[in-house]
Amino acid sequence: MSGRAWADAMRAAGAVPASYVPEGSLGRTDLEEVAGAEAVENAELRVHPADAPGLSPPAASFLDGLQYWKVVFYDGVLPIVHVHVACAVRRRGADRKLRTADHATRDFHLAHLAGLKPAVRRLLDEGGLSVVDLPDGAAAQPGRAQEAARRAVENARVALEKEVGERCAARLGPDEWLVQDGLLSESAVLSGHPRALGVIKSHGAQYFEGPELERALTIPAGHRTSVFRPRGRARHEVYSWYLRLWPWEGNDLLFGLLRIEARAHPDTVARASAISGWLVRERAPLSTPDARWDRLLYPIHDVESYLKALAPRDLLPAPASRLPKTGT
Amino acid sequence: MIDKTAPAQTPVGRVVATELKPATPHQFHFWTATETSIGIGAIVRVEEPGNGKRETGRVVYGVVTDALAYSDLATPLHDVVGAEGDPVRAAAAPTVRQEIRLWTAAVLRQEPAEPLQPVPLGEVFVATDADVAEALRMDAYLHTAQPTAIPIGLYTSGGLEAPVYLDADFLLGPEAAHLNISGVSGLATKTSAVEFLLSSIFHHFPSHKGRIAAVCFNVKGSDLCFLDQPGVLDDEDRRRYARLGIPAEPFAQVRHYAPFKADGVNLNTLRTHPDLVGDVQPLVWGLQEVLDFAEVLLNRDDIDAKADAFIDFLADRVVGRDFEDGFGGRHRVQSFADLDRLFRSIFDGLELTGRSDMWRTHHIATMRKVRNRLSNISTRCKGLVTDDGPSNDLPWGRFEDRTVYVVDLANVDPLGQDLAFARIVSKLRERLEHHDLGVDAVVVFVDELNKYAPADGPETYVKKMLLDISERGRYLGLVLFGAEQFRSQVHRRVVGNAGTQVFGRMDMDELATPSYQVMTPATKIKLATLPVGELMVRHPHFTQPIFVRFPRPAVLRGRDGVERFPPGTDLPFEDAVVRQLLRLDRSLAPNRIKDLIDGRDPEDVRRALAAVRRKRPDDVLVAFRRELGGRVSPDVPRERQAVPPLNTISEEPY
Repeated sequence: MSGRAWADAMRAAGAVPASYVPEGSLGRTDLEEVAGAEAVENAELRVHPADAPGLSPPAASFLDGLQYWKVVFYDGVLPIVHVHVACAVRRRGADRKLRTADHATRDFHLAHLAGLKPAVRRLLDEGGLSVVDLPDGAAAQPGRAQEAARRAVENARVALEKEVGERCAARLGPDEWLVQDGLLSESAVLSGHPRALGVIKSHGAQYFEGPELERALTIPAGHRTSVFRPRGRARHEVYSWYLRLWPWEGNDLLFGLLRIEARAHPDTVARASAISGWLVRERAPLSTPDARWDRLLYPIHDVESYLKALAPRDLLPAPASRLPKTGT
Repeated sequence: MIDKTAPAQTPVGRVVATELKPATPHQFHFWTATETSIGIGAIVRVEEPGNGKRETGRVVYGVVTDALAYSDLATPLHDVVGAEGDPVRAAAAPTVRQEIRLWTAAVLRQEPAEPLQPVPLGEVFVATDADVAEALRMDAYLHTAQPTAIPIGLYTSGGLEAPVYLDADFLLGPEAAHLNISGVSGLATKTSAVEFLLSSIFHHFPSHKGRIAAVCFNVKGSDLCFLDQPGVLDDEDRRRYARLGIPAEPFAQVRHYAPFKADGVNLNTLRTHPDLVGDVQPLVWGLQEVLDFAEVLLNRDDIDAKADAFIDFLADRVVGRDFEDGFGGRHRVQSFADLDRLFRSIFDGLELTGRSDMWRTHHIATMRKVRNRLSNISTRCKGLVTDDGPSNDLPWGRFEDRTVYVVDLANVDPLGQDLAFARIVSKLRERLEHHDLGVDAVVVFVDELNKYAPADGPETYVKKMLLDISERGRYLGLVLFGAEQFRSQVHRRVVGNAGTQVFGRMDMDELATPSYQVMTPATKIKLATLPVGELMVRHPHFTQPIFVRFPRPAVLRGRDGVERFPPGTDLPFEDAVVRQLLRLDRSLAPNRIKDLIDGRDPEDVRRALAAVRRKRPDDVLVAFRRELGGRVSPDVPRERQAVPPLNTISEEPY
């Protein structure tokens, strides 16, 4: 059944067409909690310059994922959500140009199947679509259903990133590194890989309190903190440290601040400054016009641009008015 | 030859269209990889995907006219920030920014042509040989029962190379005609291109269209003096000749004409090397030939109605006829000298008889003015115009097929150049009108149109003549190939009537003039930096200008020719006469000729030489002696005896 025919049938079955892109559907969420940390490199958190030479990988792969979702129908008050998640790896070789090394997408629908009208459910089941059921708790309120959908979408993206990341890690050359946008600790393979890094831009989860927190969040540009072991929701053990790319003074406390995750291994401690030096060099070129340019490495920005260029247009939020807009 | 066996291709780009940059029926945009063989002037093919029912979609051919490249950099300031103000750091950034190559192409042709629609958002391919033929509509005259295709050069792009053909019906008439070529001087483009194209025409002009010849006016240096001598070609040139189906050979038949120098016996040309000078024909005109073109030689102020009437009278009633001057004298005016004798006779007659200042309704002042101006002609154009004696002209009525007639006027006074040009072109037109030239079409190559047909300046006879050829020549088979440095400064109608326009490397100032406003800035830049051997061609069948490369002409360049065949030094009078007679009969003994002319008046010798040259008798020496006439002993003048005064003149006044 074609998309238009399926939509017509859904309408005939009593579902009401919708076009709602929830806030935050384009990005991921972060928990706001104090997770705690265990000192690894120094007994207490210290600041180190990130200027050690030595690491300049001849090749590096950069991984990022993308999630789009949109409420396309309501059956009563129950949303039926169209989801698109995608993940890509762009590899940079000796010519310093990025080329796609891997790309995977997944499109599916989310709905609380048990709460749907039989005709609507039958259309979802028989329409040749991939449908994922939302848990029972999602049926009570539309807001809860959307929250459940958000979690399901994020899980799908993380799973896809993990799948692609592990595939990529298996192919890495002897001197090649993999830099993933986000947590490395979601994957056992990646968190144990000697040349895989996780670069975290959002700092909802904090690992320190008091003076150590202040030290962590006020490190000068081109410096890093001591390596520590994050505690909390990490699924697999990794080492981590903060790194400042750009001066925060005059901006915001988190301006230019990254948290790096790497394998929990003494080598990581030994190479933390060299890795940091490499990442500081990745400040150029700037990833503008993205508003997060102070923390967004250009290659990651490039992967994001690549994924956005290939994402289905109908899942993008309308820029402003949904009336047609002329270019003049 | 068009290669129709092109292998399957991979696309090099894809058409994109946005609301601000849409695809239209006449223009489209496409992107390519940053490393691409596409460039300004490249011809591309756009294929609309089929409809899945074994029906192919619309095919569009376009030529690239503009290009853009940009990266994802939001503002230059961000690059400065990223590099912390250090350009070295910017160059050392770990990642190269994403770039785009966005090309703009003008539509050359759409298939199907109707309904005319915007260019589809399809894949873009580099054009093959067959595509180039299709895109430029060359199939209409290339693959017909009677093809009329004339190779102009090779279109080269993306490793592909395709011959480009002009339509003889639109280059040499009757549908359209004339070619105009512009370009800066000194890059061996304009003359070389015309030489190559003439060679191409001579080898590809279809026999069903008749016979063709070319008349080339050499107005500077030795440019066209060695068209029959092989030039230096490299393997690439030979390959291009082979690709275009033209033998890499100099012109098989070239006839050289040059006036004499002021001495009347040495030729006024740089082709005077002993090995070559033998086939240079002198170009000499007498009163009869000149009088018809007096308008060329006299400025506007001279040609008032009265003078014009008197010149007409001379031409109609006097020259070449037995004429009685009204004072008892009978004249047969055939030369400037005869004419001067007639004038003297009339003036003396009027003075002696004391009659009025009028002679046969012509005022004596008008006659004196015409006499003065005409007598000046033989002085200013000495060598081309003979004061006394027969003429030697182009072979009117006997023009040969595929032959180049070079008229060397490089060292002739500008007045003489004007005269030669006006007379030769007028005769060509007259003969072509009467179909008795010997060929059906003539290409006239005139360099320096800036000088002969300027956009502003006085209305000269030559300019009027060029306009006439431009506007009516195509019906007669009289085709003008004009060249100039500044197209914008040539008369608009001369340029505008040229069906085919060719551009070599252009000056940026020239490109900034309104004549070039239809070209994109990218095309202008390409024109300003065009390498030697590359041209931009506009032709009625091509909806957009096309860049082509042509091989070096297979003839000896003027400069090289002068080095290989250094001009001979001017011979003494006697030796020059001997050389000219030896050309007619190689068995003559030089000493016998020298004995004959020893002590003779050089004017008599010149006249006899011209007569022999014109008659080409079997026995040259006998004829020469007869023309010289008997040797007359000079009279010894009597000593004048003054009449003695009646009285001795005294210094004393009283």
